[in-house]
Amino acid sequence: MKKNITVLCLTLIFLAAFYAGAVGQELSSETEAWLKDVKLGAYAEDTFDEEALYEAAKKEGEVNIYSYSSRVHKFGETFEQKYPGIKVNGYDMDSGDIVTKVSAEQTAGNYVADVIFLKDVAVVYNVLVAKGLAHNYVPADLKDTIPEQYQEPMLVHHTSIQGFVYNTVKNVQAPFVSLWDLTKPEWKGKVIMPDPMKLPEFVEIYTAIVEHADEMAEEYEKVFQERITLSPGVENAGYEWLYRILNNDAIVLGSTNDISNAVGLSDQDNPPVGLTAFSRVRDIESNPNLKFAFAENLNPVEGFELEVVQLAVNKAPHPNAAKLLLRYMLGDEKGGEGYEPYYVEGNFSVRVDVPPVEGMKLITEIPSWSASPDYVWLEGQKVLDFWNINLVQ
Amino acid sequence: MGRQQLIKGISSVNLGTAFRRNVNYLRQPHIIMTLFLLIIVTMLIIIPVITMFYSTFIWQTEDIRLSREANPGSFTFFHWKRVFSSILTNTILWIPLKNTIIVGIGVSFFALLIGIFMAWLVARTDIPYKKLISAVAVIPYMVPSYIHALSWLTLFKNDRVGGVTGVFQSLTGISPPNWISYGVFPIIVTLSLHYYPYAYLLVSAALKSIDSRLEESGEILGATRGYVLRRITLPLVMPAIFSSFILTFSRTIGIFSTPYFLGSPVRFFTIPVQIYSSIINRNSATGFILSFVLIGISSFIIFLNQRAVGERKSFATIGGKGFTITLTPVGKSKSIILPIVFFIIFISVVLPLLLLTVETVSLYPGSYSLQNLTSHFWIGRGGTSFAEGEAGLLRNLAILKSAWNSVRLAVTASILAGFLGIFIGYAVVKGRRERLPKVLDQISFLPYLVPSIAFSALYLALFIKRIGPIPALYGTFILLVMINAAKELPFSSRAGISSMLQIGGELEEAGEIAGAGWGTRFRKIIFPLSVRSSVAGFILVFITVMRELALIILLVTPGTRTLTTMTFRYQEQGYVQFSSAISLLLVMIIFLGSFLANRITKTSEIE
Repeated sequence: MKKNITVLCLTLIFLAAFYAGAVGQELSSETEAWLKDVKLGAYAEDTFDEEALYEAAKKEGEVNIYSYSSRVHKFGETFEQKYPGIKVNGYDMDSGDIVTKVSAEQTAGNYVADVIFLKDVAVVYNVLVAKGLAHNYVPADLKDTIPEQYQEPMLVHHTSIQGFVYNTVKNVQAPFVSLWDLTKPEWKGKVIMPDPMKLPEFVEIYTAIVEHADEMAEEYEKVFQERITLSPGVENAGYEWLYRILNNDAIVLGSTNDISNAVGLSDQDNPPVGLTAFSRVRDIESNPNLKFAFAENLNPVEGFELEVVQLAVNKAPHPNAAKLLLRYMLGDEKGGEGYEPYYVEGNFSVRVDVPPVEGMKLITEIPSWSASPDYVWLEGQKVLDFWNINLVQ
Repeated sequence: MGRQQLIKGISSVNLGTAFRRNVNYLRQPHIIMTLFLLIIVTMLIIIPVITMFYSTFIWQTEDIRLSREANPGSFTFFHWKRVFSSILTNTILWIPLKNTIIVGIGVSFFALLIGIFMAWLVARTDIPYKKLISAVAVIPYMVPSYIHALSWLTLFKNDRVGGVTGVFQSLTGISPPNWISYGVFPIIVTLSLHYYPYAYLLVSAALKSIDSRLEESGEILGATRGYVLRRITLPLVMPAIFSSFILTFSRTIGIFSTPYFLGSPVRFFTIPVQIYSSIINRNSATGFILSFVLIGISSFIIFLNQRAVGERKSFATIGGKGFTITLTPVGKSKSIILPIVFFIIFISVVLPLLLLTVETVSLYPGSYSLQNLTSHFWIGRGGTSFAEGEAGLLRNLAILKSAWNSVRLAVTASILAGFLGIFIGYAVVKGRRERLPKVLDQISFLPYLVPSIAFSALYLALFIKRIGPIPALYGTFILLVMINAAKELPFSSRAGISSMLQIGGELEEAGEIAGAGWGTRFRKIIFPLSVRSSVAGFILVFITVMRELALIILLVTPGTRTLTTMTFRYQEQGYVQFSSAISLLLVMIIFLGSFLANRITKTSEIE
């Protein structure tokens, strides 16, 4: 009996190895042929012919999009009105889930997704784009309206700003001026930080702080009038800031909505400050009990920039509809219906001809940091581990 | 042993008899059934779990982020070293493990205490309002567990995390200390109130099937009440109590949401939080290894349980003779017991649902004045400037369609899991001292311990392509049913085993003597008798599937969204009223479903 079980187990391990084995592919000639056939990648058209694309897309009849944001259902609906005959099957889930799902579909050759729309650029690039599992598509008519930095290697749909918010009932202006202020004893237990274990995009932001360690060190000297002394085992001033924030009893919450509500609810005696997504400012309009504002003029930096990218999936079953949708999502010079759901405070269109939302500055006028995707790819996990070690006590 | 005897022994081993003995062994119905079930669980459970184990020894593509030595596809101990001996070990293993075990033991203790107490009252006493109590006692489990956690915060939140403080502080002006607002204490309280229905359902089913005359004969022979309880009643319900303990404990150590909501403000983390975080940060091997730690703990507990149940004699209580239940009069203690029961019901059922309902009719969340009331989130028309143009729940086609998807999935999965559970129960109980059925029992409990998020990732990897005769199931409804049935098999097999343990062998033997074949015996005797207590299993599965999100999110393709995916959507947009209303709709559907299930089985019940 025992022997049988051993044999059974061994067989199963082999089976498992077989399943696990089929991972990782180079850009194959088959993919090249497909790209040529559907005019994507290096074979993309020089002009954007909406009519022709629509005709071709109508024959495909539908398009499947995996989106990090539930607003896919909004622009999906207006797309269907503008282009009758093409159904948009939108599905919203976390960016990480999208990457997992698309990798699995590609590995198995079971192609479902046409378009992906997501955050976490470092992972998307290294896991999907670099392996030819998703392809960049820049509509030809927009090549001059979008700065080059946003076109390659992945077309950015919009960027967003994250920063600190404060309660405006208790404060006329931001109650602190430097990020280092928040490590002082008077802020003990009064700073809310987003949990990178639950919100992976904040790994990118904490990594940006580590990447800008020199600026953090400089700013430290300005605030404390002395050179920074790093705690044992801490590598640089960026990590040191994270270390001190966590050791100053920072509160960690798992949703940007919870953070802005905790900071912004009007009726509280001693409101905290918190790091969250700028776009949460739109909640103020829908809830008069919320009173908070984005902290401006902070040193050494005011905000952190994140990118959202849009891509065509390799071997997409509806390539023309995919292209049409990818173009539609970028809207027109007034914003446009396709872009409309994202035309809100805290988001910035990559198009130079689209003005910022009324009352907002241009993104170039907001001092902000972003981590380079390569740095996030190589350092991000280390930052997360560092955070985790200093958080769990 | 003498040399002579030894030779005699060897020569008597005749190959022919050995073969015949084996064939006869394999021809027993419960063994055939076991073998058949083993094939099913191998596909549903063993292969995914072995794949999971195997992948912890292989460099994954994204490990390049953790170590420059990573060589995707080749063998490594890196992940095991990372979990068991690195600077992270304390953070991701020891501290969370300690917290997890404290929570697990605390919750099991209180949940069993409440559950057994209520079960005894309903099954064995003449306490008034019995119908009401028995109907309400299962509701806490129908409410998604995070609702209890959020209710706790609504009541006892202090000003530590900012925002509105809880009702307690606004009424008394006293800020509750941190240990009341967050951390281990509220986690144990809310989860105990959430999970006591396990013990209630299983123990009350067991109590209802014990003939009171067993206890009375003890009393006639002069035993005291305490002695009867200790020597007769308790041993008879012990299997059910053990099952409830295993279910409660294992479920508690695997739960993510409540410990996260109540623990993270004071940095109290459990293993599931670390698993969840590893997997969503695409570091799945670490998450898988931590999952195996949980599997290890629960396997140990199951092992202890099998020692306990397996060694004692079997107690068949549903026999071929008459059956009566005599109710213990509660008498004067009624005035103490009733308030306790109603208090438990109030805090575990009424209060959370009330708070949830208030939320759905609030114009703005967190404000409790009369001016703040609205019916928009239930019956409002769409297309207005309010709530981003979304129509109220009852007019919202997208929500109603997803409700239908949820129901369809939950019903199919619970029926499949329920039937498998009865078969497994039969095979395991008939072969209690044999190895194969024991293996089946252990395997069928495994999925309980594999976190949904890990299970989902494994199913995606396995069933996205053709495996031998099985076509690619990715994107089909069948796959969703399969994963849910597999994940919930522990419930249904526990329920199946508890109910089989109580069916006396003489019933089946009587059928055999009367000339009924095995199929007929199973169909006409065993199956109908077991359905009654297995209904608990059906209902538990139905409820869990209705609420499932992480398990299916990777496997559904556009168009098959369920209610739970909709809550996620509204929470992201900041409309907690919608997500609360959907939660309430879920609870109502679950309630209706359980009610119907009870009604249908009552009519076919054999009294």
